[in-house]
Amino acid sequence: MRTVTIVDCGLSNIDSAVRALEYCGGDPVVTRDPAVVRAAGRLVLPGVGAFPEAMRRLNEAGLTDAIREAAIHGERPVLGICLGMQLLATAGQEMAFTQGIGVIPGDVTPLQRADATERVPHIGWNTVEDIGDCPLLKGVPPLSDFYFVHSFHFKPNDPAHMMGQTPSYGGFAAIVGRGLAFGAQFHPEKSQANGFAILKNFVGL
Amino acid sequence: MSLGEIAPGPMWPARAEGREQPVRYCKSCLYPETKPDLWFDEHGVCNACNNFASRETVDWSARQAELKTVLQRYRQENGNNYDCIVPVSGGKDSHYQLIRLLELGMNPLCVTATTDDLSPIGRRNIENMKKLGVDFVEVTTNPVIRRKINKFTLSTIGDVSWPEHVTIFTIPVRMAVQFNVPLIVWGENPQHEYGGPATSTTKNILDRRWLEEFGGLLGFRVSDLIGQLEIQPRNLIQYTYPSDEDLQRVGVSGIFLGYYFPWDGYQNALIAQGYGFETLPNMVEGALANYENLDNHQMGIHDYFKFLKYGFGRATDIASNHIRRGRMSRLDGLNLVKRHDGRFPWSYLGKPLADILGEFDMDVEEFMRICDRWTNKRLFLTDHNGQLVKDKDQNLTKKLYDNA
Amino acid sequence: MVKIRVMPTLLHRDMGLVKGERFDSWRRTGSALQAIKVYNMRGVDELVFMDITASPDGRPPDFDLIDDLADECFMPMTVGGGVRDAEDIGRLLGVGADKVSLNSHALANPDIIAEGARTFGSQCIVLSIDVLRGPDGRLEVMSHGGKRPTGKDPVEWAKRGADLGAGEILLTSIDRDGTFQGYDIALAKAVAAAVDVPVIASGGAGDYAHMADVLRQADVAAVAAASIFHFTEKTPAEAKKYLKKEGFNVRI
Repeated sequence: MRTVTIVDCGLSNIDSAVRALEYCGGDPVVTRDPAVVRAAGRLVLPGVGAFPEAMRRLNEAGLTDAIREAAIHGERPVLGICLGMQLLATAGQEMAFTQGIGVIPGDVTPLQRADATERVPHIGWNTVEDIGDCPLLKGVPPLSDFYFVHSFHFKPNDPAHMMGQTPSYGGFAAIVGRGLAFGAQFHPEKSQANGFAILKNFVGL
Repeated sequence: MSLGEIAPGPMWPARAEGREQPVRYCKSCLYPETKPDLWFDEHGVCNACNNFASRETVDWSARQAELKTVLQRYRQENGNNYDCIVPVSGGKDSHYQLIRLLELGMNPLCVTATTDDLSPIGRRNIENMKKLGVDFVEVTTNPVIRRKINKFTLSTIGDVSWPEHVTIFTIPVRMAVQFNVPLIVWGENPQHEYGGPATSTTKNILDRRWLEEFGGLLGFRVSDLIGQLEIQPRNLIQYTYPSDEDLQRVGVSGIFLGYYFPWDGYQNALIAQGYGFETLPNMVEGALANYENLDNHQMGIHDYFKFLKYGFGRATDIASNHIRRGRMSRLDGLNLVKRHDGRFPWSYLGKPLADILGEFDMDVEEFMRICDRWTNKRLFLTDHNGQLVKDKDQNLTKKLYDNA
Repeated sequence: MVKIRVMPTLLHRDMGLVKGERFDSWRRTGSALQAIKVYNMRGVDELVFMDITASPDGRPPDFDLIDDLADECFMPMTVGGGVRDAEDIGRLLGVGADKVSLNSHALANPDIIAEGARTFGSQCIVLSIDVLRGPDGRLEVMSHGGKRPTGKDPVEWAKRGADLGAGEILLTSIDRDGTFQGYDIALAKAVAAAVDVPVIASGGAGDYAHMADVLRQADVAAVAAASIFHFTEKTPAEAKKYLKKEGFNVRI
């Protein structure tokens, strides 16, 4: 049974994640209930929006602890997408310093332009280089493109947690991973064939 | 205001603030504004009606003299090759085109792009055309591949007839290149009677751009098929429009007979009957005619999807044709449309839907699901749950059948 | 480097798609659903979907329609038309938009840009600017589907919008729209030079060379187009192949 529990904090397009996971062989279930999250076999945390607002909602709903426990103690596969990836960090600096869920130690800070040709936010298709033998990238052609739309990035404290890198903005983490907890800065559910490969790999974990 | 020149841009009436806009219908015929490439003038009359009215100002004998000149340019006096290609389906218009060209002393090569699901009466009408005394080429695309494409385009773009649209325009042009016969004599320019931008109605030549813009391809290209359902370029040879180089080398040029003769499908059918064209004993399902679209069993599905997407079907087309020509009042047409337009296509030419769908491996349930997906809910009655209201025969009801 | 995007645009009016010239969008081009499905199958970079009568009609976006359409595709989508406030933005994001475009309401009340960015992040907020070049050559921002003059200069407005938090500018030349004459390169260049956020050029593409021209001469991040894809045999994939041959960084 490939159940995938999607955490809905009310700030993102759940539909796309649901459909994409179905398409990739998963059996998605959407929840806001911490108990369901704790018991989940696999978790997906999608996210569109601003860090502080998202954390406020997760905290209010009691989901923050539930996600952390499922990931760290339960060692369940977790996939944070875009803002969801950033929320897995220890702390975020968007607008105000906010504590994250704390699954993967690191900070979320603004993207820095490496040169005058770069613009922020980072919007569009860009390459991801596999630098950590990432299980999510299995079968994906090297330097494939994925769809990004973000202004902040996740800097993991431990370089071993950086699994995929995008060369822009001085090189930032496109994929982070610690154990079975992963974060993708891009949107796999919008990245067509390459994105579906990522989701299929995740569903297979 | 000259009726021949229709300025683009409809006069959108004052819009109901904050509310859903009702569909408007032509004041003269029965076309709704949802029809692609249709627009209304300041009197609320559509461009199809205005185009028809502009016929009065046309000097038809001058046009026919022009036609004779064009044909003379292409006539092969030594008889070593055909004078022209005439694309035909075997229907009423095809008969009419061939009869006219033979009268004008041309030696045409008839080219038929075999349709999706050829009916027995369709086959008999094709054979009848040959008996008029002409060489005939039938190009049949691989039916196994064709069926796959029918199924694919029905669900992906809501049009079972997509391969038909491509092949009926592409194959005659390919034949022109292959047989080295530059002149193609098409029948009616659909943009004339059925509405279209001014530039296309006065334009006489059907080129690649025309095909893409007006050929009913819905934006889906032949190149989009490659890689889907294991279809390779080698399967799509007859779907591939000739290159510009080939077209230029042969000097391929097309004309519409409908530019030179005031076109009337019903009149064409009457004339064709005199030459052996066969009609049905009863009205075709969902249409108001027994004399057209007799060759392809899939036509009912095609027309039904037009209804689901745009809110009008074949009955509206035919009634509007008759209304324009004074054979029927608008009110009579409207009543007939209410009775027949957009009925769920349980059969076509008597062939049951399940059998028609079975030809491309689909069942009725899956078909109904696809129908629902393509229905423009804004046009039909829905219940308080937002579900479409259907009668016991799966028929939908439009919100509006005419202007308020 | 992030890749240059080629973005087809769909304009929706009442119950179907339309296209026209210079914002006089009168020509019905068919069902939104089939256009979405065709583009989805082709894997385009991103789709722009605009409800062009929402603001002129004084009504909100049609959330149900967007929901239905988003269900049929997996492409990144920027959705606009009639977006009034943060609640509308949230709802559109909730039904499937990746980014939401603000235009007329932002002109009337620029604070909604800031509010949107605060709640959802700048990356979700696109400021759509429609520009008319007057007979004297002066550029003016228009609102309500190109109908109402605002007296604003596009460069100033773009700067203000980016300062308030818009993450992207969708810049459309009303004069060039649907004309196949090429983009308004001077306009694109001026706006792209004035802001640090990505700028999408829109209005006028007639062939692939036009796209190359505006990308070469103005520092835009993407090109959007409608008529060229609706009415000719040209496709976004072919456009990108052409651009790649011309040396641009695109996704093939």
